[in-house]
Amino acid sequence: MTRPLPDQSLGPEWTVLELLARGIIDDGERQMTRDLLLSETLDWGELLEQALRHKMLPMLGDHVISAGLRFDVPTTIYQHLESTLEWNRAQIEVFRRETVRVAQALGAHNIHFVVTKGMTFESTLYRGLGTRHMNDVDFMIAPRDRDTVMSVMQTLGFRPFFDWAKDPRREEISSRLNRDHLPKLAREIDQPGTRKINIDIANSLTWTKSPFDVPVEEALANPVEQPVPGMFGVSLPCFRPTYQFLFTVLHLFREAWLQKFVDFGTDVGLMKFGDVLRLIDQNHDELTNGELLRITEIHNVIHPVAWVLRHLDETFQMRTQKLFALERYGDEELLASQMQSGAYVRASRQSMRERLQSKTRGAARPVEPAH
Amino acid sequence: MEDITTQFEECLRRHLRSAKPNPINYDVELVQLGLDSMTAVAVLLDMEKTFGIRFPDDMLVEGTFRTAGRLKEAVQKLREVQAS
Repeated sequence: MTRPLPDQSLGPEWTVLELLARGIIDDGERQMTRDLLLSETLDWGELLEQALRHKMLPMLGDHVISAGLRFDVPTTIYQHLESTLEWNRAQIEVFRRETVRVAQALGAHNIHFVVTKGMTFESTLYRGLGTRHMNDVDFMIAPRDRDTVMSVMQTLGFRPFFDWAKDPRREEISSRLNRDHLPKLAREIDQPGTRKINIDIANSLTWTKSPFDVPVEEALANPVEQPVPGMFGVSLPCFRPTYQFLFTVLHLFREAWLQKFVDFGTDVGLMKFGDVLRLIDQNHDELTNGELLRITEIHNVIHPVAWVLRHLDETFQMRTQKLFALERYGDEELLASQMQSGAYVRASRQSMRERLQSKTRGAARPVEPAH
Repeated sequence: MEDITTQFEECLRRHLRSAKPNPINYDVELVQLGLDSMTAVAVLLDMEKTFGIRFPDDMLVEGTFRTAGRLKEAVQKLREVQAS
């Protein structure tokens, strides 16, 4: 895949984050990032704020440190980035141990499950460097196992937890009605720096009443075992790359289109687009052997997948739609016609890049870019 | 128990656009009056606040609010239980 350097039309701060999100892979990108970080026009306040909004502070910290910019970055900012990275690494360690504990308990009850998202990406797409931020640990189970899993989780000390929401009762009702996830679960721990572990257990690759879905049972079949860094002989079941990719893309689609994520301020993020790009880079052969295309056609998710890739391409100036032969799909109007209720965001002329960069996320999704 | 019809219908009309100008048909599915996953949450929350009730977990299912009639029945039942 060709990787043009990002255009700098949205400013040096945003360009740095785009470079970090997609993963710096050659000297040209490395040099461009260095030049931007050292440029006199760089606004560190803006860079830190956007890195924070997109959960990329640890990634920025790692880059600044590994690029040897100790004496080129304002001292207090350097120190803060250093400690943010260290804290993130410590939290990942805590999360890893807990993930293994939960996985062993689920396994003991013969539950079919996989670990998803941040925990699996951190040790693969982000090479276990402790740079991928995560708020919680994510699992996927089959709907039939919801009650058993809830019971196992309660045995492990987890309880439904809604206090994170502005209106906890609203969130509680919502989570009971929308049975694509178990209620968010939390367990308090006595660990400096991390007082609580949140676990999110999904049982759908999309959402309740979604017009698009891929059967969970099919996705859970034949998982791959992924070694856990620092824990010799221990591994976790994860989706194989085709379903990992599908889930990641459909999850991004969900966050882009559902109004509630805009309301929570947790809709699309640059890092999550970066996850998709890294997945493609690392699993190129398996993702382009025809199986993915066949599955998206069988389950009628070809348009949502293509919509995400279209915006991924626009954001990072890539050509993934062409790579997957999906240029004819992802029609905005067709998708909108299938999702017309007030639960979905309305269209705007804002591009995905502009939506990502915007600090005042509107209740609108970008329409497909004009090519 | 007092008749809750007026308050109940006001509550529905606050959230369901299609229910605003017309008399509420208690047999029609609320989806046809504009109920979606977000308004369903808003309606139930408003019912709890308006009538001082709390839907138990086993009532937080679609069947409880499939029609206005079913929902009103559920609200009345909870009012009675919680008053006794």
